[in-house]
Amino acid sequence: MALGKRRRQKGAFIPPKLQITSMMDMFTIILIFLLFSFSDKQETLSLDNDLQLPTSNAKLDYNDSIKLVLTKTQLQIDDKVVAKIRDGQVQGLNPNDLKASELYKQLESRKKNDDRTREDEEKDTILFLCDKRLSFDTINSIVKTAGMAGYPNFQFGVLKK
Amino acid sequence: MLGRGRKRRKSEDDVELDMVPIMNMFLVLIPFLLMSASFFHLKAINTSVPVLSNGENNDAIKPDDTVKLTLIVEIKKDGIHLSASSDNAEENILAGIEKTFRITGKNDYPFDEFSTCLRDIKARYPKSDTVIIIPEKSVIYETIIQTMDVARYSKESPMFPKVVLSGKVG
Repeated sequence: MALGKRRRQKGAFIPPKLQITSMMDMFTIILIFLLFSFSDKQETLSLDNDLQLPTSNAKLDYNDSIKLVLTKTQLQIDDKVVAKIRDGQVQGLNPNDLKASELYKQLESRKKNDDRTREDEEKDTILFLCDKRLSFDTINSIVKTAGMAGYPNFQFGVLKK
Repeated sequence: MLGRGRKRRKSEDDVELDMVPIMNMFLVLIPFLLMSASFFHLKAINTSVPVLSNGENNDAIKPDDTVKLTLIVEIKKDGIHLSASSDNAEENILAGIEKTFRITGKNDYPFDEFSTCLRDIKARYPKSDTVIIIPEKSVIYETIIQTMDVARYSKESPMFPKVVLSGKVG
């Protein structure tokens, strides 16, 4: 009887000990990588899939300002679509009458509604995110309109090289 | 001998660390960091567009003794044309700066040659800090940004950090 018990004890299931050292190594590497790429910016920019930004060696951080997004298909102020782009031309934006465009009206109303001092106004910039494949012909009418609406200073959004 | 070996094995077992709480902490930290990580670093280039002046401050501008140039970079289909304007530079200085950099090979703009030329101008006229970029209608945005990069900084030193983007007048 005693011999039988001992035999049973010998054959009893012993839970295998997990080898977590290599897993720990992996987690440590991931953690360090993520800590380095940690972003403390509160604001997150949601960008369209079809927007391809150019790369640059610029080091300046962007300001929290009006965001003008120009993709191959549409023009947005912050998240509101103000015009469609067809064959590289902004729909509803007549180069001879820029003040009649929706873009001008939107920017002008923002300028009026902004309760700011003159010094603040001078610092006002537009964060311009533009697809790198678009031609200057398309861009020019937009930056001109923004300049006319009281926003002559821009920050061109680029991806860090 | 056998007895010693057994003793050593036992003492090694005793000092084994319990990694499970650390693993738990890692499992919490990693999803949190993944959510707040930014994989694309967005940066900005300050630019302005020309605006109509009402002429109020013209009297306040005094001529500077040192030569201060404003470079004019025209990006064309076939290359880059460089010229300069200034309030206090002589005509021969401005004429000496004028140069065209033709594209080489498969639509490659000669940015290296262009950069060397700008460095040379900056060394001769260090007060100059403004560049006006005038692209042709068909020039794509990526080329404009590349030109700005070349004009603004050479490696780490600033060259012409004030950039004005303008359409061709006339």
